[in-house]
Order: sequence, then structure tokens, then C-alpha cells
Amino acid sequence: MYRWMSLARALERACAEVNPRWFPIEGEEAAIVGTFYGLRPDDVIAPHYRGPFVTYLMRGVELDRLVGQVLGKVNGYTRGRAVAFSGPVRFNLIPWVAADLGTSLSVATGAALSIAYRREAGQVDDRIVVVSFGDGTANRGDFHEALNLASVWKLPIVYVCQNNQWAISQPLSSYVVGPGIAERAAGYGIPGVRTDGNDPLALNDVVQAAVTRARAGEGPSLIEARTYRLAGHWAEDVASYRSADEVASWQRRDPLELARRRLVDAGHSDIELNEIERETEAEVSVAFQRVRELPDVGDSELGLDEVYAL
Amino acid sequence: MRRTYIEAIVAAIAAEMRHDDRVFMIGQDIGRFGGPMSGSKGLFEEFGPRRIREAPISESAMVGGAIGAALYGQRPVVEISFGEFLPLAMSQIVLQAANIHYMTAGDASVPVVIRSRLGDGPYRGHPQSYEAWFPHVPGLKVVMPAMARDAGRLMRAAIRDPNPVLFLENMQCYHAVREEVPDDDDPLPIGTARVVREGRSVTVVATGWLVHRSLAAAERVASDGISVEVIDVRCLAPLDLETIVHSLRKTSHLVVAHEAWKVGGIGAEISAQIAETALDALDAPIARIGAPSIPVPSARSLRERYLPNEADVIAAIHKVIAY
Repeated sequence: MYRWMSLARALERACAEVNPRWFPIEGEEAAIVGTFYGLRPDDVIAPHYRGPFVTYLMRGVELDRLVGQVLGKVNGYTRGRAVAFSGPVRFNLIPWVAADLGTSLSVATGAALSIAYRREAGQVDDRIVVVSFGDGTANRGDFHEALNLASVWKLPIVYVCQNNQWAISQPLSSYVVGPGIAERAAGYGIPGVRTDGNDPLALNDVVQAAVTRARAGEGPSLIEARTYRLAGHWAEDVASYRSADEVASWQRRDPLELARRRLVDAGHSDIELNEIERETEAEVSVAFQRVRELPDVGDSELGLDEVYAL
Repeated sequence: MRRTYIEAIVAAIAAEMRHDDRVFMIGQDIGRFGGPMSGSKGLFEEFGPRRIREAPISESAMVGGAIGAALYGQRPVVEISFGEFLPLAMSQIVLQAANIHYMTAGDASVPVVIRSRLGDGPYRGHPQSYEAWFPHVPGLKVVMPAMARDAGRLMRAAIRDPNPVLFLENMQCYHAVREEVPDDDDPLPIGTARVVREGRSVTVVATGWLVHRSLAAAERVASDGISVEVIDVRCLAPLDLETIVHSLRKTSHLVVAHEAWKVGGIGAEISAQIAETALDALDAPIARIGAPSIPVPSARSLRERYLPNEADVIAAIHKVIAY
């Protein structure tokens, strides 16, 4: 898990460096890795737009081809056609094709419907779906519609709210009354759990319990992973709308630092952990170097006659 | 067997469901009730609740759910009870369904049918016609049949199509249009218009209920010696311009007629494409018939004044001929 978190930080930092409009993930690595760690390759995932790359890499997607999407190169899976943080469906994920919020919750719910539809016919299919989304998105109608539909049809899906407490420049208090998002589960008659999103082990335990429940045909769950967006909404956003004290207090809870302390306490050496960081940073910078040499997407990727499937 | 328009559609869905377990329906009141206006009559009795799935009123989740199920191996038919509710699922239709195949560079496709009812109908409810919004969006196929047999054959093609298909059913046609429709009829490839009446002097290109009003108008003016060719567009996307141009090379006069608002209607697109590619075929300006730019009024007498009708088509035919 630490290696994935370290890779996520290195990769997303590199993406933010080349694209000032990239959505940085610093501070949310544990929430992302803790949610998607330990799933089967045939489970379907629909990660939040903030930081999905590491979840794709965890199931074997090629780093160079994701970097190609970021740099607009011919090797990208999407051939330059979708937002750069999209991913290939053949790895059992929900692609990012819409830059709105919330619609992917319903699409992910549909993937769970497909699984349930097979099960209802007596076929053996114990795959499940895990979808993550932001605290801002939790206020869209699609959130309500998807969770209600999944509950009514007892679909095998786990909804994880990656609550970083800011929707661009608006604080959580401007769109949520009460303790948080998890409480909303009661309205749909499903379990709702809030957990520390900066503790990947605790979060993973909660997610895996919900996964087990979904695999067993017991229906959906809602999990709220409380975390914090240490950077701006996009790479160049200086986030002047919030207090330095607030950011500093969460900086002290940087999930990579917390994880490192925990690993050292458990007997791992600083040298060993530094080595992991060096490796992941090197992996990313070598990938960027390699992919920079490739041609940009051009006429042959435009696909004027490829809008319909044949 | 003689079937109404809606009976042909339901028979087509049933036939597809019989030979492919991946096909199922999502909608409201499609179970024991039999669907709005008998739109799914008998399906629940034959296929049961697993395949005729009644959902909470949540159009976005229904369409999004169908998209996700289609991405992962099924072939759902999602029913939005009336066209007036399509805007509730607009993001799913135009941002998700339409984009997925292109934006994943062919990695995925979305074989989903979104069926809905629109236009004025026998019960006068939910009459707004939003069909022109959808051909504007790349990646969607938009089908709008006027004839019973075409409706059934196009539904079979829509269910088999690997792309998202918006299947728009005209409520006035539902029980009023009837013809011989064989059991287990063949699918009709999406994207072809059809000459429903041959003529020499003027071409009337129409959709939905206006196809029937145009046929009646053609009959009326025939006694004045005007020979009218009527084309049923059938599919708004892809649009079959070739059939229209072919007709104009013969008649040199064009009337375009639909029930939806004239401004920005499908008639505007057809007229623009003809003006771009076949202006030389025309001996007179194009005449367009559509509703005036007001919301569809409710009272019967207002509704009758509002709706484009046979007299409007006749007046337009005389106008282009007299030019």
C-alpha cells in the first residue's frame, strides 16, 4: 500500500507539473489506495476524477500509456479523445467521458445491475463494483437516484465518498448540514460508515467489509472517507479561500508521513522507505522521458468516422 | 397479423427478448399495469420481474444504469415514460451514452435503447416534442417511426444496434395507425428514409404524425392535379439525405413538415442540408411547417390552433407550386 501511495504522489505531482489544470491529489493518497486495494481484477471500479491513475495501475494498466494521455501522445489509451484521467474499459473500469459530476455514479450502478442480472438468472457471478466520488458530488441528484436504485434492487456495489472537505472553493459547511455524508445511508436503508480516510488500513478494512457484504448478495453500502485536499482544486490554484492554519493542521496529518511513521514503528527502516520513494519517482520520470519522445495525437486519432460502433 | 403501431413495437421487444437474454427493460409502470398507453402490454406476464424491471422514478439513474449494464454485457431497453422527462436524463444521454464509444477510442460501446413517447396524443398529456435536441449530438442514433411495421422493425434494429439509440414513439400514432405486421419481422437498418407515396410535382418530407397528415393532404390536392411525393424521414440520425435529394431531382419542390417547433426543428437541418447540397434541384424556396414558438397549450381549442395540420401542409404545397 505504501508503494502505491508513493507512486500516486510521484505520478500526480509530475502530471500537475506539465498541466497547470491537473487536479492534484496530495493528502488524499490513503483515501484512494485504501479504497481500491485488495479488489479482484474482475471487480469493476469507478474511481473519482481526483487521482484515478493509481487505481488503474493497481490492475495492470500501463503507466506509459496513461502518461501518453497526459502529454497528448499517440500511445494513450483514449487516443487524445477523452479527458486525460480516463482509463481503458477492458481493465474493468468505468471510463471518464463526461466532465460533469455524478453521472458516473449511475453508470457504475449499472455495472452492478449487469452483475445482479446474471445472478438473478442463477449464474455464478460474485463480482462487485466500487465507485468513489467527492463530497461535492454527493449533493447531485444522481447520488440520491443511484443509491436508492441500488438499494431497491440490492445491487453489489460499494459507494465511497472521498470527502476532502472542499468543493473547489466552497467549504463542506456550505453544502452539508450535520455530521457528514455517511448519515445519508439511513435514508436508503443501507449501512453508512464514516472512517479516517488518511488511515489506509482502517479504510481498507471498512471497504473490504462492504465488499464482502456485496459479494454475498446483501446489497450496497455507503462509506465516507474523511480526508483533506492539501493542494488547490487544480494545480495552479493557490486556494486563497481557506486559512493557512487549517491547511497546516492537515499537513501534519499527511497520509504518506503517517504511513511512514507507522511502518518505521513496525520495524521498517528509513532507508528501505526512502528506496521505495526513489524507485517510484524514478519510474515516473523515466516514463515521462520515454513518452515525451512519441508523436502527438494527430489526424489519424481524430476519428471523424469513428463516432458509431459498427 | 394486423397490428397497431404500439402492438408492433411491443411485439418487436418481445421477439428480441425471446432470443436474447441480455435484453431487458427498465421503466415505470411497465409491470402488471402494462405500461403507459399499453406500451409494454403482456411483457411482464411473459418475462417476469427480472427482465421487466420497474424502477423508482429516477430518470438519470435509469438511463445511467442502463448505460453501465450495457458497458458490462447487457442490452437494456430503458423506457422514459414521456419525452417531457427526457431532460431529466439529459447528462446521461448526451455526456455518457453518446461519448463512450468515441472517447474510449472504440474500447467500449453502449448498446442501449432509450424509448420514449412524445407529441400530442389521444389523452393530450405530456405533448412537448424534444426530438430535435438529439440529432445535434454525435454518437446518438435517433429513430422516430410513423408506420406500424417500420416501428416494429426499427425497434428490432435498435435493440441489436451496438450504439445508443433514442427510439421516439409518436402518441397519436399509438392506437390510430394499424397495418399488416408479420410475426418475427426482420429488423430494418437504421438510417433510411422511405417514400410512402410517390408523386411528381412536390416532395413533402415529414416525421411522425405529420407523415399521416401529409398523406391526407396529398390525397386532397390530387384532385387539383397536384402529384405529391411523401417521404417519411423515420430516422433523424443518421439522416438519409440521399432519398430526399433523389426525390427533389424529380419534383423540384420541397415542403418539410413536423409537429415540433419550427425554430431549430429537424426541418431546419433538412432544409439547410438541401440548400447546401441540392439547391440547384429546387424551383421554389423551401416551405417549412412546424409549431409556433409557444409552449404546447393545454386547452383543446388552443391545442388545435397550435398543432400543424393537414390544412397547413396543403397551403404549403400550393405556395411552393405557385412560386
